[in-house]
Amino acid sequence: MNIIRLHRTIPKLKHVLNRRSSQAAVLEQNEYTENPEYPPIMDMSLQSRKLRERETVYEKIKQLKTIEEKQIALNMPRYYGFECVMLTEDKVPYNAMPLVQCYTRTHFIPQDKLPDLYTETTPAAESVVAEIKSLVEDAIAIEHEGIKHNFAPITGKSMEEQKENALAKHIVRQINRIISNNLSEKVPHILSAQVDYDPRHEAFWFVGGVDPSRKVIRARSQYKWLKSKLLEPKDRAVQYLGTPMLALRSHLPLRPLMPYSEATNPDFKVAKFTYVPQNVGYKPTTRHATNIPGFWPGDYDEFGLLSYHGRSHILARKQSFGPEDDLEALHCQAMKSSFGWLLAQASYQGFTTYNDLTYPLTTQTVITNGQLWSLYSYQLNTVVMHNEQIDKNPKHNVCFGTQPMKLFETIENGNVKGLNEEVLKMLVQFYMNVPEKRDHDMKPYLGKEEQVVADIEDDKRRCWLEDVYKHLVSNRPKHLLVPELYLWEKIYKIQFNTRFFEKKRRPFELGIQPYSRKLNEHLPPYIPKILRPYPKAKKKFETTYYPDV
Amino acid sequence: MNKIMSEARLVSNFRYPIYQRGNPQLRVFLPNFWMKIVKPHLKQLPNIVHFQCSIEMTKHDIKNYLEKIYNVPVTDVRTKINMGKFRRDVGKGYIVKDEDIKYAYVTLPKNMKFEYPKLFSEKNTAEEDDMKSLDEAKKTFKSYLERNKDRSDVPSWFSI
Repeated sequence: MNIIRLHRTIPKLKHVLNRRSSQAAVLEQNEYTENPEYPPIMDMSLQSRKLRERETVYEKIKQLKTIEEKQIALNMPRYYGFECVMLTEDKVPYNAMPLVQCYTRTHFIPQDKLPDLYTETTPAAESVVAEIKSLVEDAIAIEHEGIKHNFAPITGKSMEEQKENALAKHIVRQINRIISNNLSEKVPHILSAQVDYDPRHEAFWFVGGVDPSRKVIRARSQYKWLKSKLLEPKDRAVQYLGTPMLALRSHLPLRPLMPYSEATNPDFKVAKFTYVPQNVGYKPTTRHATNIPGFWPGDYDEFGLLSYHGRSHILARKQSFGPEDDLEALHCQAMKSSFGWLLAQASYQGFTTYNDLTYPLTTQTVITNGQLWSLYSYQLNTVVMHNEQIDKNPKHNVCFGTQPMKLFETIENGNVKGLNEEVLKMLVQFYMNVPEKRDHDMKPYLGKEEQVVADIEDDKRRCWLEDVYKHLVSNRPKHLLVPELYLWEKIYKIQFNTRFFEKKRRPFELGIQPYSRKLNEHLPPYIPKILRPYPKAKKKFETTYYPDV
Repeated sequence: MNKIMSEARLVSNFRYPIYQRGNPQLRVFLPNFWMKIVKPHLKQLPNIVHFQCSIEMTKHDIKNYLEKIYNVPVTDVRTKINMGKFRRDVGKGYIVKDEDIKYAYVTLPKNMKFEYPKLFSEKNTAEEDDMKSLDEAKKTFKSYLERNKDRSDVPSWFSI
């Protein structure tokens, strides 16, 4: 870690040493030109003025130098957080595929085997499988019958689900250990790869083109100029939360599954899902936007290789949904978790939901309960799908996935019966997919010297930004909660003006809208007089370093 | 001893029907359950149907009601209770509240479709409107002729 830090500071030193004697810039005296130069003609309608305002914000976010500042900038519009559609990996409502495909902009390709990229490793993988087969069999048998696992049960999930997940977690850890041990000599990237147990994968983005909810329609109908635009589509904030059982990541990114030019292939087009998500069973939650791929900014291994997810939520689904929808639920889980993880990784490369990727990112996802394994590989081509771009953006993401396959048939007398070598081979092939260095700039929207907040030299600014970022992503409630509107006030003060004689003191009577409060709309910490610099300093409040967006 | 205890427990757990005055004491239970299809407030997936129902109905009741009585396959039911509207009482002027409404969002299998029927005929088409205005014009012209039949040589602008 220290070596990395040193590595970062060397270019800065170089810059200082090479600095030439500075010169005052000479002003351009001649303000006349041969041909008249007019300013561009702009559309001055309300809509296009607002659009330009938004575009300048996107541009400002793009110009910010560090990852953390970009994340704070994303959160700037809301002091109490965005109202987010929550996509969790372990809750899939009935018929979720259209919504998930649209919200992650993913074309799904069902397959029986892995994509073409993996064919070159087939012979090597077969020999590895022959070596590890007996070890895997032993591990599965021991985890099933040899060990009695205890786990701390939680409420909100059935015991059956929790048991399945706990067992799957142990089997996955064992299989990961066996394959990694065997492969660390053969493929070098496995030895240096980081293994995360139960990491925190979170991603946030905006999806446009969604019908407005009744609340929005009611709010719009208050204004004369919005009467004709009552039903215009709206941006929805989407937050993904997931916890894989195990994730592997490395310093270099995986190779793309297909060339980047394929991203604009019209065959991959996804149907739009415009229905209000509440109508389909998603409950919105107010929270801050978080993009976390299982590690903090500045980590050396910042690209995902492989993640393992449980599938116990299938047990909690209703019988009436049917096995076909259960299969779709697995595909949805894979698409959500792959997109979520990759988007979080992309945000650590300096991309946001407003500034699109300039290169594809790839990940591999395994969904398993120990016996049934489904394997997915995902290529992220685009992350921009907010209201202005949802129709314009030609790029789509692609996901390849298999059906759930049985790794073994049964366990009899402590022995595994009918181990499916084909499944194990595919899994080994996932490990043997070697990440490669890319020729292009990986972080075009981050600063050259300052890429994370830790690179900032100004102590006060660095510490302040770090504190604010960590506090935001912790998503703890604010010190002072949102001012409450009591029901009696709504009835007797807002709906019916029965208390007109009372002094108007409550926030809603003063025209304060708590949910449109900006993140920086608060008093900074007070500096007591005794702590102010001697002799006379009039600065009463500490400086804040919110990004200017 | 144990046997007596368990028997006692059995007896105490046995549920008798609530006593109702009058005979017969054995009655058929007819719950006050009702469901009413309503037009969705917003655009909705074709396989989701909106109902208003008795506030006492649970999700299981709703599912059974539709499946057993109407043979409608139900995949999923979501319910919510909406607070009734507040309004000013017409005569008295104070504020009263309407009853709460339970909504049931019933999901049918995804290959099924339900479209809320058009209860009222569509608004008149443009052609009908034209015919109406033409008739109107004819009528006024007729009444004009009727008024002026005994002074045929007087110009139209000359009137009281």
